[in-house]
Order: sequence, then structure tokens, then C-alpha cells
Amino acid sequence: MTEAQLIRQACEGHGTAVRTLYERYAPRVYAVVRRIAGDDDLAQDYAQEAWIRAIRALPTFRGDARFSTWLHRIAVNSALQALRKSETRTRRESPMPEAIPIAADGGDTLLGSLLERAMDRLPEGMREILILHDVEGYTHEEIGEFLGVTSGTSKSQLFKARAKMREILRPTLAGGSEGGNGVEAWGI
Amino acid sequence: MGHLSIETLARLVGEAPSPAERKHLEGCPDCRAELLALKEQTEALGALPNLRPPAGDWEALEARLTSDGLIRSGALMGPAARWRLSGWAQAAAALVLFLGGTALGPKVWESGRSVGIQDPGDSGMELVPVGFQAQPVSDLTEAAEAVRLAERQFIDALVQYRQLLDAQGQPSRIGDPTVRLAALQGIVAAGRAGVQQAPADPFMNGVLVGALAEQEALLKTASLSGRAGIY
Repeated sequence: MTEAQLIRQACEGHGTAVRTLYERYAPRVYAVVRRIAGDDDLAQDYAQEAWIRAIRALPTFRGDARFSTWLHRIAVNSALQALRKSETRTRRESPMPEAIPIAADGGDTLLGSLLERAMDRLPEGMREILILHDVEGYTHEEIGEFLGVTSGTSKSQLFKARAKMREILRPTLAGGSEGGNGVEAWGI
Repeated sequence: MGHLSIETLARLVGEAPSPAERKHLEGCPDCRAELLALKEQTEALGALPNLRPPAGDWEALEARLTSDGLIRSGALMGPAARWRLSGWAQAAAALVLFLGGTALGPKVWESGRSVGIQDPGDSGMELVPVGFQAQPVSDLTEAAEAVRLAERQFIDALVQYRQLLDAQGQPSRIGDPTVRLAALQGIVAAGRAGVQQAPADPFMNGVLVGALAEQEALLKTASLSGRAGIY
């Protein structure tokens, strides 16, 4: 069955079609929502809300963009709006593991875990821009539309976010120097 | 000139350096190494994998989609399962569905072509004409589509029937909705197990489809009457 057929059936309320779309795209939706939320519990709520919005909006999907792109944008907008609403949200300050070597064997998993945790520790505005640009590949103009900021603001926040990430991760890298203008590479 | 700032280096991850910055980088191994580390950090971020949602995520979403009326729940209600049924099984399922509907809520089948719901206590006054017209079909696909349409209309008619009962102050006819929903979920679970064992059995399919339809109607009615919160 083609994606267009699936979408049409999902519009008509066919549970199997909706589930097929969910199974196809849930990891991508959950990934971006989880990273924006910065929290597992919030992420599940945000992801569910994103899917509800998307299924409700399915009749408006005209196929001008790829479905995955359309869905991803809904997920980003939904998560950002949900995050704005949670005014009482508290920052998570999960401690970083100390001096974990970035090794070749299993290094990708360990590096991924380090990056995810470091992103969680970024200030909210920086984290959103870093995720949208460096992880998800949106342009500064697109980020400006998502966040209601200029592309210049998006750029300057991105550079700050990259620098902050570097500072957070520096002590955890094997052989990393403390302070100063560290010189070690990742070694991945 | 001192070292380039970390934010300047972060900018140079994706932008060309100015002549002065280039000159500094050429003579400063520390800044070159830091820029390399930032570039690798950025590449690693771009290569992060997607994340698998936690267990039970679909079930929670499905319940919400169902209660919001955005999907019809149940594997058999979906097209993939439906098309696996033979023609006779689909027809039998539809027949059982409508017979089940007759038992659950009074219904009139007029001349085999139109369906309406009557208030059993009101001597034949038709309350909800739903105008179902059985169209002639020529192949299995059309027949299956007709079954799907009939299911949809039956569910809609059932919802209207429940709403009218509630509006007329007769909610006791369906009993405690919470208890009823729990009972229906048990029937659905049993029906699914039965269909898994005997996928083409018309009785099993009829039980499952009827229970799913009734469950959906109950959820919709409860939601529309503002009582969805109890579920």
C-alpha cells in the first residue's frame, strides 16, 4: 500500500492505517520531541499530543511536501508550544559521567548518550536552536519561524549553544584538559 | 592576538573564516584543534539516531485517538485485516453485526433496504432515520466497501440512539457506562483472541466487530455527553 493510500485511509479513521503511519514515523517524531522536551516523561506526553494534532490535521495534508517533513514540523511546533506552557518546568541537572573514554567499540552509543545528556543541560533557548539546526537540519530562517526570532538571533544562539556543549563535554572526554582553550579532539 | 573565542570557533564550524581568523588558525595549533573538536561535535549531533518510543506508547495513543473519535479501534476494523477475510466471511460478519445491533438496540430493517432506529417504548415511531441504502455490488472490493459503510452507519446510528436515550432521560437502558465499558473490553479481548485462532470464522468476526462498534459508540456517547473523563 502506498503512503498516499495509507494517509487517505487514516483520514477516514482506519486504525490500522494510523498505526502503520505511527510505526513508520514514531521513532523520528519521538526523537525530536524527546530532545526538545529534555525529559522522558514530558516527551511521551508531547509525542502523543503531536500525533493527535497530526491525525486531526491529516485532511489538510495536500502532499506539497513529503509526509515525513509535514509530520516533523507538526511535532516540532507541538513540542515547542507544550514546552512554553509548562512554565513551572524545572531544569534538570543530571550529573555527567566522569572521564568516559570515547572508544571505537561501542563508541557511537556512548557518544550518543553523552551528547543527549549534554543537550539536556543546555539552557532551553540554546537547546532548541541546537537541536533544530545541528540535529534536525533546519535552516536559521526556518528556526526563526518556529521560534519567532530573527535568523540572526538563531545564529548567535547556535554558536553559544555549540560552545556551551563543548564546555559541558570537555571534562568527560578522555584526556580532556580542564579549563583553558582545550585542544584535544574527540578521537571518534 | 590571543586565541579565538570558543563562540568564534563555533561559528567557523559552518562559515568561512575572515582573513584575520584564517591567518590566526594557520599559526595556532590549539585553535585548529578546538575547531576540529567543534566540527566533530556538530557532525556527531547530526548523526544522532532516532529514538524508540517507550513501551505502551501506541496503546496510550490509540486510546486517545479512539476516545477523540479520530480512529475506529481494533485490528479487524482496519483494512489490512478486513481484506484478508473471504467474501462470505465479510458478509457473515456484517450480518452478525446487524443482528447484534438488533439485540443491543431496537432497529428496523425496512424492506431490506433502509435502516432506522425505533424507540421500543413508543409504538413504532421512527426516531432516527439513517437512510442506509444497500447498493448493488459487482466485486469483492465493492462488497467489502459496502460492509465498511454499513458498519460506519451502524455505529453512527447507535451513537444517535444512545444520545436520544440520554436526552430523554433513559440512560439506565445502557447501565453504568464504566461497568459496561469494562465488560465490552473483555468481549473485545476475547473476540480478538477468537479471530486470531480462526481468522475467517464469521461468528468470531461478528462478535469482535459488534463489540468494537458498541465500544466505540459508548466512548463517543460518553465523550459527547461530557462524561468521557470517567474513562
